[in-house]
Amino acid sequence: MDIDKRTQQLAARLTYIRDIFGPRENSSVSLLKHRLEEFLTNASGYGMRELQLQVSRLEELFSLLEGKLESELCPMDRVRIVRHPQRISLKDILENVYDNYAEIGGQDEWSIDPGIIIARATIARRMGKKTVHQPVMVIGQEKGHGQEFRNGGSIKPWGNANALYYMRVAEVENIPIHTYVFTPGAYPVEDYPGAAQQIAKNLYVMAGLKVPVIAVFSEGGSGGAEAIALADKRLMLSHGYYSVISPEGAAAIEGGLKDKATPELIERCAERLKITAQDNLRLGFIDRIIQEPPLGARPEHYEFFRQLRREVIRATDEVVHSAQSLGPLRALAIRRQKRSADPQDIFVRWQLRQSARNTLVELRYTRFRAMSRTAFIDNRTLGIRLATGLARGLWRVHSLLRHDVLARYKRRTLSLLEQLEAELRALGQGVGGHFSWLGMGRTGVPPEALERLTTLSCPEEGACRIEDVWGYVSPKSKEDRTLTCPNTASHGCQDLWAPDLFGEFAGVCSHCGHHFPMEFQWYLYNVFDFAQAYEFNSALESANPLNYEGFGLKLDEAKRATGLGSSCITFETRLEGIATVVAMLVSPFRGGTVGAAEGEKLIRAAERARIKRMPFFMYSHGTAGIRIQEGTCGVIQMPRVTMAVRRYIDAGGLYLVLYDTNSYAGPVASFLGCSPYQFAVRSSNIGFAGPGVIRETTGVDVPPKYHRAFSALSRGHIQGIWDRRDLKKNLHQALLTMGGRNLYYR
Amino acid sequence: MTQHKVLIANRGEIAMRILRACVGLGHEFVCVYTQADAASGHVRLARELGGGQSLFRIRSYQDPSELFAVADASQATAVHPGYGFFAEDYRFARRTENRDRPLIFIGPSWSVIRDLGDKINTKRIARSLSVPTIPGSDRPIFDEMEAVELAQAIFAFQNDQGITEGCVLVKASAGGGGMGIEEVYDLDTFRSVYRRIRNYAKRNLSDEGVLIEQRIFDFNHLEVQVAAERGGKNAVHFGTRNCSVQSLGRQKRIEVAPGFDPASLSYAFDASHVLDSITQHSVNMAKAVGYDNVGTWEWIVTPKGEPFLMEVNTRIQVENGVSGVISRCRCQADTKHGVDIISEQIRLGLGEPLGYTQDDVGFEGVGIEYRIIAEDPTDRFTPCLGRIERFAWRPEPWLQVFTQVPTAVDADIAYDIPMDFDPNLALAIVWGQDLGQARARGEEFLQNLTLAGTDTSGAPLRTNLGFLLSRTQTILHF
Amino acid sequence: MLNVKELLEELKASPYEEIEVRTPHTGIVQFVGLNTGDRVLGPTGKWNEKPGTLLANLTREKNKKPICATQKGVVTDIASDFEGKFVEAGERLITIRHFLSKEEVIARILKKALHLFCAPERAKYYFVPEIDAKIKAGGEQSVKPREGMEMFIVSRMKRETPLAYSGPEGIIYAVYFQQGDNVDGGQPLIGVCQESQLSLIQDVVSRVQGEWEEQD
Repeated sequence: MDIDKRTQQLAARLTYIRDIFGPRENSSVSLLKHRLEEFLTNASGYGMRELQLQVSRLEELFSLLEGKLESELCPMDRVRIVRHPQRISLKDILENVYDNYAEIGGQDEWSIDPGIIIARATIARRMGKKTVHQPVMVIGQEKGHGQEFRNGGSIKPWGNANALYYMRVAEVENIPIHTYVFTPGAYPVEDYPGAAQQIAKNLYVMAGLKVPVIAVFSEGGSGGAEAIALADKRLMLSHGYYSVISPEGAAAIEGGLKDKATPELIERCAERLKITAQDNLRLGFIDRIIQEPPLGARPEHYEFFRQLRREVIRATDEVVHSAQSLGPLRALAIRRQKRSADPQDIFVRWQLRQSARNTLVELRYTRFRAMSRTAFIDNRTLGIRLATGLARGLWRVHSLLRHDVLARYKRRTLSLLEQLEAELRALGQGVGGHFSWLGMGRTGVPPEALERLTTLSCPEEGACRIEDVWGYVSPKSKEDRTLTCPNTASHGCQDLWAPDLFGEFAGVCSHCGHHFPMEFQWYLYNVFDFAQAYEFNSALESANPLNYEGFGLKLDEAKRATGLGSSCITFETRLEGIATVVAMLVSPFRGGTVGAAEGEKLIRAAERARIKRMPFFMYSHGTAGIRIQEGTCGVIQMPRVTMAVRRYIDAGGLYLVLYDTNSYAGPVASFLGCSPYQFAVRSSNIGFAGPGVIRETTGVDVPPKYHRAFSALSRGHIQGIWDRRDLKKNLHQALLTMGGRNLYYR
Repeated sequence: MTQHKVLIANRGEIAMRILRACVGLGHEFVCVYTQADAASGHVRLARELGGGQSLFRIRSYQDPSELFAVADASQATAVHPGYGFFAEDYRFARRTENRDRPLIFIGPSWSVIRDLGDKINTKRIARSLSVPTIPGSDRPIFDEMEAVELAQAIFAFQNDQGITEGCVLVKASAGGGGMGIEEVYDLDTFRSVYRRIRNYAKRNLSDEGVLIEQRIFDFNHLEVQVAAERGGKNAVHFGTRNCSVQSLGRQKRIEVAPGFDPASLSYAFDASHVLDSITQHSVNMAKAVGYDNVGTWEWIVTPKGEPFLMEVNTRIQVENGVSGVISRCRCQADTKHGVDIISEQIRLGLGEPLGYTQDDVGFEGVGIEYRIIAEDPTDRFTPCLGRIERFAWRPEPWLQVFTQVPTAVDADIAYDIPMDFDPNLALAIVWGQDLGQARARGEEFLQNLTLAGTDTSGAPLRTNLGFLLSRTQTILHF
Repeated sequence: MLNVKELLEELKASPYEEIEVRTPHTGIVQFVGLNTGDRVLGPTGKWNEKPGTLLANLTREKNKKPICATQKGVVTDIASDFEGKFVEAGERLITIRHFLSKEEVIARILKKALHLFCAPERAKYYFVPEIDAKIKAGGEQSVKPREGMEMFIVSRMKRETPLAYSGPEGIIYAVYFQQGDNVDGGQPLIGVCQESQLSLIQDVVSRVQGEWEEQD
């Protein structure tokens, strides 16, 4: 090869290395730099042979030191690798991993969202002498080697909606889906269909998708990643990262939002968040790591693409195999096969049979259900655990008998009785109709009705029916002071006296209806009748699974201040006589963030509601998102809880969500946002990212009322807005009018 | 007696009367006013009697924080709400009591205001005490069958009473201000009206309860003036008054005390018996509910002489003076114009005992009260604005005029009627030995009254006086 | 015919507006250390969502409220003897000298050029609901008043009567009243621009844009 070209390549490799290692001083990097410079200055004096020799030596040195540098990579370096414009992109993968492909989600900038690529691709496999082209649906973010219009792989809501559409197409066509995650995070705008809502919809659909889904992670940024990554097999490139939040974001939160975080703090956060492939493999959130060349894969690493091809084929085979057994010989062969061997020699048909498709979904649920189970504290004694398990079994039997077996007979008997009664009544009217007027007053009015006109009705209720409306009164109502309603400028509200406002008015401005936040106890006692409720799983408590520095103390502080073990309270209660399972996210506990303990409690609540056939009601008193200090242990709750909820709904349940104060990010973009019945308390805010984050990530200012419940309602995110004072009535009304098959109580 | 400083949380004529009563009882006072109302007579009077220290400009009479801030700044110990504004607002009364620096609310206890402020609850309390109330439901009806039965019963009842044109009133229990209320004349339309009102209530008021009541036409509107001391043990009444002369929208224009005058007029029923019955019922009910200030029990009397309790006003009323002028009582408040009920209210509100019983209260003569209002009787009593240039009358021993219009005192001051408030200009109370004399004096007063304004208000004011004059002849007639 | 040049000169001679900041209600005043000569800013941000410079705090019933500047300008006078004292409603706290902006100058000149429809008497004025909805949806200029068109609701002492527009046909160019505020008789309610005047208005706008130099 041409010497010039080779030196240019070396220079490019050095630039790349220096990009990756950032401002840090490193002896290997300076050595390489020194040697290259030395060579370049002396190059003019060398003869041809000498040049060849020197360049070869340099190349060897580069390879050697790249190998050495590889072992020195810190988590933040990996972040820089995946963000580097030279990083392999989805287009490269389509070109090199698949045998043929056609883009169907638009072309380059002529796409509803150029950040996402959707393609039908084929993988050719041999079956004896003939070649079989196996179709797959490939979906993933495209960073485009720095192309501006790709928006860095940050997907707008409509891009995710398009992805979802083609996942459904794949499901109809019964072909596997390969997703490639190359996103720093979703583009946090609320325009229809809304960032959070769309991710929630994606998760909800993917939870029940009846075709194999294989996800490959390169850059897995939180919610944006989850939108396409709920998969049966999750592979990860060795230099990728998968995290709840970008290290910069974590540092900004850590350091207080005002100032820009220092590089050191960002490095530290990257370290603490446990974002590397190795970390995630250890925590069990991915299945395998695909080894990349030293310092990360770039488009020229053809051997890497071959390996990637082998891995995705094997992963798909395995998923198919787990759901529907292959012939005994092939099964044996697959098991025997070495990892490096080419799996494409053994043919596996990727179309699933009907029964296998259901098994696949079931397996997927089991897989996710088992994740992050050690990331919380379980204080229950062995006895309690056994008892709970037993009770669950009994309830299952009970529900089966009561709702499936007995109910059928009961219905039949009742309808017979009803008919009989109607017949008798018809008889009575025909024969004795005119008798019924006997015994009434001259004008056809019963005398007791006349008496009712002037005497007290229902004397047992007493004369004074005015009482204090609320059983629980907020401590904020004890202070003699006034508050100003935020709508004073536009609505002319007068100052409100705290005892009136937080007492009788239930925190609602009596003039404009603005809702001031109320503590969660207010809802517990005034809406959910907590004193009569049965709380379960209170022994599951939040922990610090990543040993995130300093977080243990903060967690203890939160537990002490609120008296709770996690930000989630789950209980059974009766709403106007209807037994209901309620899960509550409580804002004062670490901002209502969701981690492994909360996720587990929510899943158990959904399961309980499913087994006992009760309506399931989730009330978000406020949630700031996924608890970032739990890293991917937190993020994984998004698919986990969504799957549990989906299972509950599929089993015929009614799942209702109510938002209050501020609900943002992960939970809204998954298990809260996926409910078909979402409501908000007035004056609450709902969204994917707060205004500050939107400004930072998109550079656009959002209007002051962007996240308000009314905006969410007009964008179609929620189905209604409820007044706090009428919550109980509205809930009851919802229980009577909405929901799935199992609402036997009507 | 401990001296108090009373914050007068009102304006105009009533503020002036409260102010005078405070001074008369030896208490200090604090007055408030708004920018738009700076020319009102009460500002002038406060400045005259109390100086600048007892006068504060506030944003609005209807902002309680303003009143409490002034009360704290001026070290007031009690607050008098007057009528309107916060007079029947139990939250305001509760707040005065429950503040870190509590004030005495000159009015009934807040729980009494709350219980009697709700018309349905008042009806239930009355029924539990066997006090007659308007036939109909005493709680919201949610069931259509029940509603139809009630309506049927009301029509039958009216038939029994000899009312040919029966009428039922259907109203949303959470409604108010004339919304969600309809009259029904037969059972067939009742069902559809009931459903309409119910759906209206469900949609707009989020409470689908509906009330069903007999609609009563051609009635006498009578009131009983009650006074009770704190603790609710001792209560007396200061007679009855008749408020049947009303403008459109049931705004009272002329009030007469006593409520009926069997001595000079003949009635189709035993009028003295009706008066005895309603005063007795009112006082009994006041004692039963622990009423502890002055208040008014409002009654309607049908052409057959059947009284029904309509509501209880837990405050001093505009027309209190006409009851006072015919009352005689051996007490501190007895003046040359009879009993000053406002003084009694302040006294009772500050916790003093009544000090006399019903036996000590006597009645003499007939009083007529005229409300002089800047409005046009020929144009649906629309308020008119403008400037009052001259307002004068000839003083008489049998005449009291209460007005905030400063022109009445000083002819040089013109008065622009402020548009932010009710257009009441003045109250005039005349007294006579009997109905004939009172009528004659009333006419004499109205004819000699000088009330001149600019073009916008002048003509309507003259027609208005004409209206009052023409109705004087028919008062107390059925 | 309107002499734009002359009007502009007139405004240039006294390009200031004195804004008196008054207490909205009673309370105890605390100034925040401003001095005469200090510059203050009005509300900023794309939606005017960021309040102007803090001028003082007013505390009533333990509720401390900021009083902020509504226009940018220079503080010319501070009633500093109120510091820490209980004041009545409507007391002057601070005077700000505000240099007229281009928009304000245009509005002032146009007020002389447009056909003004004035309030017949002192009352509260509202647009009728249809017109109000139209203005909210499409802006003021989407409404074309015609002779006899019912446009306003006059609210006087809680009683409401309709009011019809009279004057030349055109489009609403400016609204001079706040719905629900008291308007004195004779005060303009809306400014209507006739079809023929459009060029004149263009002229005013371009002249002011060119000739008026905004100062801080």
